Amino acid sequence: MSETSIRLEEITLHFPKQRNIFAIISDFFKKKERKFTALHEVDLEIKQGEVIGIIGRNGSGKSTLLRVISGIYPPDQGEVHAAGDISLLAGLGTGFSAHQTGRENALLYGSILGHGALEMKSKINDIIHFSELGPFIDEPLRTYSAGMKARLGLAVASAINPNILLIDEVLGVGDPNFREKSKKKILSMVKGASTVVIVSHSFGLMSDICDRVILLHHGKIVNDGLPQDSIRKYYEIEGE
Amino acid sequence: MEENEGTSLVLRQIGAKSNPLLAPFQTVSEVRRNRFLVRNLVRREVRARYRNAALGYAWTVIEPALLASVYWFLFIMLSGNPDKMYAVWVLLGVIVWGCFSKSLNAATNSLTGNVRTMHLVYFPRSIFPVSGVGANMLVTLMSCLIMIPIIFIYDLPITVHLIWVPIGVFMAGFMALGFGMMMAPLNCVQRDVQHLVRFITRAGFFVSPVMWTAEMAMERGNWGEAALWNPMVLPITMVRHGLEGKLVDLPSAVIMSSAISAVVLYLVGTIVFSKYERGAVKYL
Repeated sequence: MSETSIRLEEITLHFPKQRNIFAIISDFFKKKERKFTALHEVDLEIKQGEVIGIIGRNGSGKSTLLRVISGIYPPDQGEVHAAGDISLLAGLGTGFSAHQTGRENALLYGSILGHGALEMKSKINDIIHFSELGPFIDEPLRTYSAGMKARLGLAVASAINPNILLIDEVLGVGDPNFREKSKKKILSMVKGASTVVIVSHSFGLMSDICDRVILLHHGKIVNDGLPQDSIRKYYEIEGE
Repeated sequence: MEENEGTSLVLRQIGAKSNPLLAPFQTVSEVRRNRFLVRNLVRREVRARYRNAALGYAWTVIEPALLASVYWFLFIMLSGNPDKMYAVWVLLGVIVWGCFSKSLNAATNSLTGNVRTMHLVYFPRSIFPVSGVGANMLVTLMSCLIMIPIIFIYDLPITVHLIWVPIGVFMAGFMALGFGMMMAPLNCVQRDVQHLVRFITRAGFFVSPVMWTAEMAMERGNWGEAALWNPMVLPITMVRHGLEGKLVDLPSAVIMSSAISAVVLYLVGTIVFSKYERGAVKYL
């Protein structure tokens, strides 16, 4: 199990800045481009079976890095390679529609996460069971509380079974009871997937489950090593 | 998404650029592979549009009927006594043109309107414009149910040519898809595009045979004949003639040019879309 699962080669990613007509004309004559560099020559190799954490301040490029790996953002320079199918777990309940029932939303969200009709048909009962929504599953989503929506979102999201699992801050939704349950579920998903990359601010969890933690700062990898080393480095930078 | 479950997984490049010239075919296969997703997105869109309305889906018929009656009244005021079928022709014009203009706006705004989804999940982005257009085509086909009472009221023959009704609707949506896919990534970069497209759909209403028919245009000589070169003349006239029980009756050059522009719009639209959608996401 020492084959490469994800390889990033000198990934650089810029975000263009929105311009009005005057800026466009003046930039054209000054021959400059307005952009913000979110990732700066990031090199990273992740082996199959590894659980990697990414930490860093807000805006350091953590989520952007996950989005590059999952194919949402094409890098401006460098290449991303990955083995197997990838799922990004972020913002539970993407695409939920308030006017459809919980069941319809489960099917919708499942299809957004990449399931086909047959797969969802076989999974829907487990999903409904895990969500603990009972008869509410056939009520429209607008009648749900925030916690119920989160439960349904997690129930659908946890039914995925990818080779590479990317998790972006989905821990810690709902009431304490459900938070515990969701944490357990995500940990079991982490065990089930062959490669995991987690972005989180809960350092306790990171040092428990991660083999390596990467510290990002201003779009560069500052430290790549044992969880405690990266976390210590994080506080050093934070203290500046 | 299904990959073989094995320990030896092959490294592949994420977001590798493919030949843009293949985009017209790739779009078809992407939609085929994600048909369950497309179906769910279309359903979400249609449900959301007719939510909490006592009359619900009846609005798909009521809305064009009300619009048509206003135009019919306007036309009578301007030009006097039209033939008895005129109200029907306006209604069909409103329905088919509505399919085009709503689909075009939906496709143009399909990326900018789904920012959250695009930031959180990756699936082929062509799904967004396709499901936006699909929802409007579905609504239009529901509107077409109004033709059933019309057939009885006006005592029209029920013929095999009724098949041209859904074909015309499809063609209008297909042209909107091609054009909209061209506009969607550009709209991410500069939102001016959506204002321009909205203008096109408003102005296009008058230069397309919605309030007038191809027959009226042909009677008007040069300017009228020039108006026939609008690609939307074919789908609208196709639906009207289909309901009347005949094959679309237009000069063959007009038919050819319209069919060719539909195909060209699709080819160019998918190619432009696949070339620019990747970068366009970063503007959102």
